[in-house]
Amino acid sequence: MNHPDGLAAEPKNSGRRWGFRPSFPVIMFSVLGFLTLGLFAFVTIRPIQVLPRITLGPGYFLTDANGAAVTNEDFRGSIVLYNFTYLNCTAPCPETSGTLQEVQARLDELDTGGIPVRLVTISFDPARDTPEALQAAAAKLGADPAVWTFLTGAPERLKWLIGGGFSVYYEEREPGDFRFDPAFMLVDGAGVLRAEYRTAVPDPDRILRDIRLVAEEVHNRQGVANYAYDAAHLFLCYPR
Amino acid sequence: MNEVSDSPESEGEVREPQVAPKKTVSGRLYALLAVGLLLGLLLGWVLVRMSQGRPLFGPPQFHGLVIQSPPPLSNFTLTATNGERMSLLDFRGKLVVLYFGYTFCPDVCPATMVELKHMMEKLGRDGKDVQVIMVSVDPERDTPDKLGEYVTQFDPSFIGMTGTDDELLGVTTQLGIFYQKHEGTPATGYLIDHTATVSVLDEDGRLRLVFPFGTTGEDMAEDLRHLLP
Repeated sequence: MNHPDGLAAEPKNSGRRWGFRPSFPVIMFSVLGFLTLGLFAFVTIRPIQVLPRITLGPGYFLTDANGAAVTNEDFRGSIVLYNFTYLNCTAPCPETSGTLQEVQARLDELDTGGIPVRLVTISFDPARDTPEALQAAAAKLGADPAVWTFLTGAPERLKWLIGGGFSVYYEEREPGDFRFDPAFMLVDGAGVLRAEYRTAVPDPDRILRDIRLVAEEVHNRQGVANYAYDAAHLFLCYPR
Repeated sequence: MNEVSDSPESEGEVREPQVAPKKTVSGRLYALLAVGLLLGLLLGWVLVRMSQGRPLFGPPQFHGLVIQSPPPLSNFTLTATNGERMSLLDFRGKLVVLYFGYTFCPDVCPATMVELKHMMEKLGRDGKDVQVIMVSVDPERDTPDKLGEYVTQFDPSFIGMTGTDDELLGVTTQLGIFYQKHEGTPATGYLIDHTATVSVLDEDGRLRLVFPFGTTGEDMAEDLRHLLP
């Protein structure tokens, strides 16, 4: 006799556990509330940070310091940091190679999980920056040939590449004297532009962090993490 | 015990039970309707997603490389196979599939063109909103007539285009494509190295997808369906 009574009493007790019986709208609103809060937390705390996929990097065909042909396809699968300059650049000229030197020196402390990092300096003064001049410059800057490549090519192709593709201004004022905006570009292994640093001396820490983020995304994008990364891109979880 | 004590109560209070059962029945009915509606919507969603070949959640999975937040391409004007000057703006409202090659191309170009032909076959009637354009990077040898003959043998809707070096560089650079002439054998004449990717522009002229060389026509058609207006 006790058993049926106890069973019958149970549903009433469970309804009173919180002092009220949560109705359907209340449950719906609390679920929605939790979802919104979760999303808000994801966007503000940003547990996953990504670099924007700005646009497709430009295509090019240039020659390196050995006179060999180098194209954008040769860097597929590597993370590439570009800068644009000319070697006869003197006194009041934005000095951008120093940043690449520092990045090259600090590549050891960076763990990209096997993804090669390459540095590419493109000279927009092919008349004076011959392969020999590029070799001399590479030696002077202490460039590791396995990491740092110096490129140049036909003037109209350079203008389409640097001016058109990377949107970086340069102009030859007088023969051998260029005016240009200093800029660095980071392109990922799929050939997509991921970061632009439009300043003469960017923070090397920031560049190294960005390279690390690109490499991390490549390694972590598996299974459910794919959706998390897509969400991070969707909600602009960019590093600050 | 319960049965005995319950029945007199319900019989005793005549007015209240008349209202109360009605309420519970209609409430249950609404709840059932709501649950049924939700289940129906969920089932419909699953069916629609599956029929489109999409995953249940998230954006469609593309075979090609997706370009996120693509800026509109700058307009370009090239000479079409009928000798007319045509620009990208002429193709607004259509998906434009761009391939860069040349008619003397020994292996890579015909292989890709055949895949593009398969893609059109797979698209069927949806193909009317897709324009395949082969841009020749060999304007010296590819006259409009020759190029027209070459592309239409794959599909009558295909268009061929070409232009000067300066015009071509303006298009190729922003699509991540390079090309360069180099010496071949006397039998083949000079050859041209070029990126063998296929670029897909949406109806607003934005670069949306890049297919690497070797993507099958089937995969390309599947991707294009997600982009069709």
